[in-house]
Amino acid sequence: MRSFDNPSQIIEALDRQQYIAEEEFATSLYLLLKLHKPLLLEGPPGVGKTEIAPVLSALLDTELIRLQCYEGLDVNAAVYEWNYQKQLLGIKLQEGSGLSVLEKEKHIFGHEYLLERPLLRSIMAENRSPVLLIDELDRSDEEFEAFLLELLSAFQISIPEIGTVKAKHRPFVILTSNRTRELSDALKRRCLYHWIDYPDLEKEMRIVKKHLPDIEEKLLKQVVNSVQQFRKRKLVKTPGVSETIDWAESLLALGYRELNAGAFDQTLGCILKSAEDISQVRTENADVFM
Amino acid sequence: MKQQAYAAGSVTESIVAFAQFTRSHGLNVGIQETQEALMSAECGLLIHREQFRGALKAIFCHSPEECHLFEKLFLLYWDTNPIDLQEVKSRTSVQGMIAKKTNTSLVMLGRGRTDKETEEGKNISGASETERLKKTDFSSLGSLEAGVLEEIARKLFQQMAVRLRRRMKESRRGGQVNLRRTIRRSIGYGGEPVDLLRKAQRPKKTRLIVLLDVSGSMDKYSYFLLLFICALRENFRQLESFIFSTSLLRISKALRPGSIQRVLSVISDQAENWSGGTRIGTCLQTFNEKYGRQILNGSPTIMILSDGLDTGPPALLAEELKKMHRRSKRIVWLNPLKGTRGYAPTAGGMQAAMPELDEFRSAHNLNCLLDLENILAYA
Repeated sequence: MRSFDNPSQIIEALDRQQYIAEEEFATSLYLLLKLHKPLLLEGPPGVGKTEIAPVLSALLDTELIRLQCYEGLDVNAAVYEWNYQKQLLGIKLQEGSGLSVLEKEKHIFGHEYLLERPLLRSIMAENRSPVLLIDELDRSDEEFEAFLLELLSAFQISIPEIGTVKAKHRPFVILTSNRTRELSDALKRRCLYHWIDYPDLEKEMRIVKKHLPDIEEKLLKQVVNSVQQFRKRKLVKTPGVSETIDWAESLLALGYRELNAGAFDQTLGCILKSAEDISQVRTENADVFM
Repeated sequence: MKQQAYAAGSVTESIVAFAQFTRSHGLNVGIQETQEALMSAECGLLIHREQFRGALKAIFCHSPEECHLFEKLFLLYWDTNPIDLQEVKSRTSVQGMIAKKTNTSLVMLGRGRTDKETEEGKNISGASETERLKKTDFSSLGSLEAGVLEEIARKLFQQMAVRLRRRMKESRRGGQVNLRRTIRRSIGYGGEPVDLLRKAQRPKKTRLIVLLDVSGSMDKYSYFLLLFICALRENFRQLESFIFSTSLLRISKALRPGSIQRVLSVISDQAENWSGGTRIGTCLQTFNEKYGRQILNGSPTIMILSDGLDTGPPALLAEELKKMHRRSKRIVWLNPLKGTRGYAPTAGGMQAAMPELDEFRSAHNLNCLLDLENILAYA
């Protein structure tokens, strides 16, 4: 696994992975690697919160384990579950084997009957620390959040039938949240924090350029400039960076070399995802955005 | 405590003092954070100012608001020159954060009227007195009675919160087979799953959003309604609450159990809000714009406590309510005036709002509020 001596090295390495980060963010990542403290990322949708996890795992040449949170996510789906079908068969197979009840029980609650879910897998890594992405944590229930506390501070998980599993290599944990609800203070205190905001014009141009190296300077500037203009308006759904890239890509695919009124009208659906927004923008003169 | 970096004797000391400094200004910084700050300095982040600032920010802050405050504190602490010290005394504070000490003069919500009491069997005491008070309109309470009723209300609201919780726990008919426990049990029968153990049905939890009108016309009711919201918070832990009159203020964070005094003092700090008329439409617009995307997720139930006396255009109110309706499970409007005999929702604002409401109820006395339990239990 690679190690870094300062945040500047991280910026360079990320840059090679097509991810553009400013110094403050790189410093947070550096601390994540040094202190092994989870990093909580918040910010509007589409600014690259989730994106950093695969990039980081590629950077460290380590496994990425991802847990998508949703309402009703429970411990069975997130941590571990017993393989019930196999257990039932296991019990049948043991019939007539003359084993005592205690031995039978021990057998069917062994490791081979255990289904590892993302969180358990993340602390069972044998060789090196994996990157664990816990995505959109704000969607999960508070109970689950409370459960995470044990994992995030001690990096261990208790399974009643087996005992406590402790991490040999503590994972690098990245949590993301869209702030649909406030996370608990207890959880926040266990994490480093970084707020990712929409990038400015110059940075966004660099990001799009990274993803679409063939794009011409003029189109690039027009596209990014329009998006920045969109963000200043009160829209139902403000476009993120990923939408900017989508839009630029569609324009390229349609063979446009610059953004004119026709192209603007034709491809507006790539960048604005709500009927109200589209009609609001259409009422204005397209020139305003170019 | 050291207020500026130059006053400290060593780097370590100045970092520790900075942690104390930020803590005294409201950031949640403890020993662990201080240690981590020192560790980050040791990691070589101390060399570059920007990196060090970024590192401390990542460690000390937990929300965008805190980040904002941190930037100010950082400058204040590390960049202060002893020469221009005089102006540093004033504390920076961020709007929405509540200072710890709060026994300030609270506005007499709900206790406006002290004199002139219509005699309604005043000398009855005990249980029937309680019953009477429960039915009495909040606005016609004397100050003495208000105190008594407050006690009763507190108790009843608490019971209600407990009942709501219990009801959720006990609803366990049917449900999926709990394979884990069934298998465990079946070992005793040689592997035949004789007893099918079932999972209790998970109580469905809805999120509740409460918007309370604290304008002048609601003055008599606001205090009890606020008590009610505090009680609801016991059950709906994901309760989001706002107060509004001419502008909107989020009080979800301030509303912790036993902190009603604090909330009141916050409201009174913002008192200039409520002398003017109510602008419900505009406030709901602010709500939709500022918080809508964040909070109106997973179809919550919205409860609006207001008399509907709007000084803004009714069309705006209708439109904003429509927006909210689309993203919520249902909207319940509680209007204290509905309890008044002969009241009909004819006021411009109220009339405009009616088509978007799923439930329109009164909230003028304690019984009305307690009746809400049934709606909320299945919310």
